Amino acid sequence: MASNKRWIALFVIFLIIYLVLGCQGERKSVENRCDYDGVKVEPLYTVYFTLQDGTEKKFCSVACASLSFPELKSRIKEVIVVDERSGAKINASQALFVESEVVTVPHVKNRIHVFANKEDALKHIQKFKGNWVENPFLS
Amino acid sequence: MILNALSITMIFIGALSALLAIWGGISSLILYRKWERPSRPEEKTSLEDRSYLILLIMVIVLLIRLINWPLFYVTLQSFISDIEGAMCIFGVTQVRPGLTRFLEFLKPVNFFLIGGWFLLHLLDRATQTSPLMKRKLLLLSFLSLLVLIDSLGDIFLILGIAPESLVSCCTTVTNISNRPTRTTPLSIFGPEYAHSLQVLFFITHIVLIGFVGLALTLWKTFLRQRLILGLLFLFSFLNAIFFLLSQIEVFAPAMMHLPFHHCLYCLWQYVPDSIVMYLFFILGTFSVGWGFTTELFGRQGEAADLLPGYLRKIYSFAFFFLLASLIMLIIHLLVG
Repeated sequence: MASNKRWIALFVIFLIIYLVLGCQGERKSVENRCDYDGVKVEPLYTVYFTLQDGTEKKFCSVACASLSFPELKSRIKEVIVVDERSGAKINASQALFVESEVVTVPHVKNRIHVFANKEDALKHIQKFKGNWVENPFLS
Repeated sequence: MILNALSITMIFIGALSALLAIWGGISSLILYRKWERPSRPEEKTSLEDRSYLILLIMVIVLLIRLINWPLFYVTLQSFISDIEGAMCIFGVTQVRPGLTRFLEFLKPVNFFLIGGWFLLHLLDRATQTSPLMKRKLLLLSFLSLLVLIDSLGDIFLILGIAPESLVSCCTTVTNISNRPTRTTPLSIFGPEYAHSLQVLFFITHIVLIGFVGLALTLWKTFLRQRLILGLLFLFSFLNAIFFLLSQIEVFAPAMMHLPFHHCLYCLWQYVPDSIVMYLFFILGTFSVGWGFTTELFGRQGEAADLLPGYLRKIYSFAFFFLLASLIMLIIHLLVG
């Protein structure tokens, strides 16, 4: 009986250690994921929120970022988006937003595209039946 | 159809169990009707031999159907990469939403009924006169019908999921503010509904564990009271509703570190050991129910004498599994 109890105690200790280590592993694995729905982010369509306390939130698409925006609005210092053409990071206030029939991130059916250059945006509008949309990150 | 090892396995299991369920269901119904009719000894022996064959085959079929529930989700998980727009199982369920929702409801019901039937079968096998045989056969014919529906559902679903289907995933459904899991508790508890749900779940879960523990301690009194066991089963069902609501609204977002995301399929994906926690919770809750169904159908002849010992074992399992799921949840919330 005493031997059984010892085995049960060992099992419980092992289980707790496993769970603690598992939880820490999970924390690492969420680092490169969208802060709204956890999906892996594609650098070309990522949106970054820099918060007042210096921390950064990243989102897989404009769709996810704009869904999170109302909740985080008061804490956001800067919104950074990525130019689809060059892959360069730019401030959202300087970016041009276009909605077209092309889906960039399928799981949220994101159709909003980001451009730094007006010519690139116009080309996209003509080619994919797009139209201009307002910056969704205006406070 | 998306062709992979799991989808082929599902179709094979579905076809096999559908055929055997038809045969087993009809045979057990015929045997049930003949069982206690006066007959000659050689006819009685022939009936018993047939019943053993039917039980042997159906036990294997039912065991496969028990495994089928997790296999169903593993198969759906394997389809994610082939469905455009799916990031978790939720996306796959959107290809054939009606049928998938029906199967997602039917499978736990089947799991519970099959588990309950197995416990009766074990109890009956421990006796020398098989006093539960007639009930077992009747329940088996009913279970066969459910197994048949489930198996056919699996086959139609797997065949009906076309590769490259375009769906919207969980983000556009589970994260919206007018989701029913939010609006219902919001209308009852007000803006602080998340906190209320959390507290309510911990209270009901701890009370349930307490009651099961009490029933085990005072088993001579408690485990003979059908009404008490029935109420305990209802309470475990209520606790399961609070578990589900609090998981969707509070615990899953906390465990995933995604405060706006309320998808349980994503939780299983991002926090895989939460599956073990869910398994413990399901087995704990179902064990409470199985205790009640075993008492309900097992109090007959020689089996009635063995029943208290069996009930103690079943409720010990319930106690262990419910406690284990609670400990896992607490560790996740504290460490994660």
